[in-house]
Amino acid sequence: MRQAGASYGDIRIREDRKEHVNVQNGRPEHIAVDRSAGFGVRVIVDGAWGFFGTHRLEESALEPAVRQAAAIARASARPPQATRAARARAREPVVLAPVEPARGFYETPHEVDPFQVPLEEKLALLEAATRAMRGPNLKLAQAFASSYLAHQHFASTEGARLEQRILQCGGGIAATAIAGGDMQVRSYPNSFRGNFATGGWEFVRAMRLGEEAPRVADEAEALLAAPPCPQGRRTIVLDGGQLALQVHESCGHPIELDRVLGMELSYAGDSFLTTDKLGAFQYGSPAVNIVADTTVRGGLGTFGWDDEGVPAQRTPIVEAGRFVGYLTSRETAPAVGRTSSGAMRASGWHRIPLIRMTNVNLLPGSAGRLEDLLAATDDGLYLATNKSWSIDNKRLNFQFGTEMCREIKGGKFGAIYKNATYTGLTPEFWGSCDAVCGPEAWQLWGTPNCGKGEPSQTARVGHGTAPARFQSVQVGVRA
Amino acid sequence: MNPAEREARLLEVGSDLVRRSPADETEVALSEGTSLLTRFSRNLIHQNVGTEEVWAGVRVVTAKRVGVATASSLREEALRGALEEAMAIAKASEPVADWPGLPPPRPVEKIASYDAATAEMSADVRADLAGEIIAAARAKRAEAAGAVEIEESTLAVISSRGVAAAHSHTRVQVHTVVTCEDGSGYAEGLSTHAADLKGRAIGRRAAAKAAESRRPRAIEPGRYDVILEPPAVGEWLEYLSYIAFSGKNFAEGRSPLSGKLGERVTGPDVTIWDNALSPRTIPQALDYEGMPKERLTLISCGVAKAVGTNFHRARRLRKRRSSGSALPSSVSYECLPLHLFMKGGTSSAERLVKDTKRGLLVTRFHYTNILDPLKTVLTGMTRDGTFLVENGEVVGPVRNLRYTENVLEALGRIDGLSRRVALVRGPMVAPTVRIRQVQFTGATEF
Repeated sequence: MRQAGASYGDIRIREDRKEHVNVQNGRPEHIAVDRSAGFGVRVIVDGAWGFFGTHRLEESALEPAVRQAAAIARASARPPQATRAARARAREPVVLAPVEPARGFYETPHEVDPFQVPLEEKLALLEAATRAMRGPNLKLAQAFASSYLAHQHFASTEGARLEQRILQCGGGIAATAIAGGDMQVRSYPNSFRGNFATGGWEFVRAMRLGEEAPRVADEAEALLAAPPCPQGRRTIVLDGGQLALQVHESCGHPIELDRVLGMELSYAGDSFLTTDKLGAFQYGSPAVNIVADTTVRGGLGTFGWDDEGVPAQRTPIVEAGRFVGYLTSRETAPAVGRTSSGAMRASGWHRIPLIRMTNVNLLPGSAGRLEDLLAATDDGLYLATNKSWSIDNKRLNFQFGTEMCREIKGGKFGAIYKNATYTGLTPEFWGSCDAVCGPEAWQLWGTPNCGKGEPSQTARVGHGTAPARFQSVQVGVRA
Repeated sequence: MNPAEREARLLEVGSDLVRRSPADETEVALSEGTSLLTRFSRNLIHQNVGTEEVWAGVRVVTAKRVGVATASSLREEALRGALEEAMAIAKASEPVADWPGLPPPRPVEKIASYDAATAEMSADVRADLAGEIIAAARAKRAEAAGAVEIEESTLAVISSRGVAAAHSHTRVQVHTVVTCEDGSGYAEGLSTHAADLKGRAIGRRAAAKAAESRRPRAIEPGRYDVILEPPAVGEWLEYLSYIAFSGKNFAEGRSPLSGKLGERVTGPDVTIWDNALSPRTIPQALDYEGMPKERLTLISCGVAKAVGTNFHRARRLRKRRSSGSALPSSVSYECLPLHLFMKGGTSSAERLVKDTKRGLLVTRFHYTNILDPLKTVLTGMTRDGTFLVENGEVVGPVRNLRYTENVLEALGRIDGLSRRVALVRGPMVAPTVRIRQVQFTGATEF
């Protein structure tokens, strides 16, 4: 890399293995194993980045890949023809925040390697769960399990030498009831294939999918017959799973500093959390405390080092409602006078690391268990399990739909409603949070499908949440 | 890279693996190609990447038990590993009672969609194309963000039933968001040939829109007549492909077209078809089962006509042959039509504005998502140029709004379509349309 003119360079040699098992109505519906291996070279030449990745895992492919990356970097560095005459703004060379070059090995703590579990055992677990879902209108009883292994070697011209084996898995069930032109889905433990964690197959076994299956099917049937969610401004309590996606969309994405600096503008947009707001902006109520934590056991964003070799750490994001921190990289952190928060992650050898969510966690509050929070709520709605999501390109106006909605009356659950939605503006919404359940109700949720960047990358990220209450939220938006 | 040579090599590699397979039936899909992307923001290139990739999908069938595995290399050990893993999955699976066998071969038309000059476009030339957009933005004292993306790729499918087909293509995609104070504008270009795209023109379109959308005023959510430009229409088409035109969703009762073929599902002005063979899109000759792509009418004058299928799904739906909509066998969605066209009308974008008493002109949507697939209820935001139209004139920009709308119902309220259609990301080919009384349910602060 030095010979190619790089002032900095790194290489990631990575092998990914994925397994997806889908069971539908008691039978295997789709099973696939994907393997991908290759390496990606990232260099800074003449103050600009270049990256080249190749599937050719052979020594003779190294030098051409470095040459390609360097040529790409040089093209980034020079003013393009069309702008030369237009007195192009001088490029400021990329400057990386310092990091101690690390050497070491990290492996996800786990009990049972999911890739060592026989496929027959996985199918038996999932098939039993789907057979336990029954109902007159139940058209689809589905169960899912997925396992992921990323084995990566990282080396940099600064002297870092790292090896990591990140193991992730998860699963879930979904019941789909269809009748009279209506379709209702109920899922457990979360929608869109379930819940996910770093860890072993013990995580899936502990879900007890078969035991939850009858309830899930009954609730899908009940939703078919339920009236639609009422419209108006209401007190709402969000379950942990829905709250995880609320954190994801309205906090996790807007604190990505590359997005704040405009680097994602033309794709998924930028952020209302501009750098002038750092340390000064009231993001939410005093009940709202958020951290980005890559050290917490079990989170989908838990690892030893990020893809720039920055060690795992815990970064305050919101303290007592005040916005205090970003997810950053070595390139972007200096823009706010800080060092990297260790949030650079690539979805594979073939993609450049981007600032991604790690585990962006809403810290537990003091409202006890969910039952305690419900008991302390006289009149409201309980919304559970995400069904749809959408947010504007500065991450202000959002709208979510949930699978389940329960009336709360006098501290107790009442009627079931279907097609629940709620909408709001991010700071106003988090400003209305007046209670977060305590550590006894706090758990990590895995979001395995976070999209960002061009070329598109899908990241698996974590969110710790406990159920929380929000006042005067607009509910019941419908077509 | 000579695409003919690569097609021949992939066919040979695939045939060899099929020959060595111990399965009753074996299908090998191989793709190989390079993708290059230059990304810019605030008038500077900030990300610039290239990747050469291989994807190998192996599907085996033994005693009607199906197994699928993939690899990312053409190396012997990788391909053999994928074959062994697919065999192991098949062994653990249950027989598929109605398995019709892998599809028999059908002639695949040769389509010219590979441009060597595009495939060989250097990082310097990509930077120059980005520079043209940036220069156009600068001329308006604005800033450009966006990307120039080049892809060249070959897909080859070989099977023990005798399928042996290959197709190569190039694709260049350019898009930009130009910001000018608090205004923003969008423009894009898409082609098989880089020479077709003029960076300065794309940059000027986005910059002009950005300048016009400065100082937007807030308006109340509610029902408005809308004029949707092609990128907005294309986004709805993309969602319809997934929720309505998927053969799998259709068969499972999850499509709004389930049980409604032959029935009116939207307005008489709506005709939508899939045609990956057309030179007006990014042509693709075959699907991932090696079946030829076909022109498939999905909705004709508001009446549901068909959904996209692979071979197995087609047989389950009592169709003789697949529509050529198979996705890679490792993808659980199975089949989707991905090259949609919406028929234009007799008007023009300008005329649609002139004929509007009060309404909104929408450049594009952002973060659309599904609220109710059976009723095609979608929600999303407007973005990068939303304007109020009064008495046939664009009177000024407005802050972005959230729509929540039943899309098939909304398309039933179309009262004007432009004759001219545009190729937009997807790839989708769409006109500008005017729709009465689209529901906007919220607003944002910019």
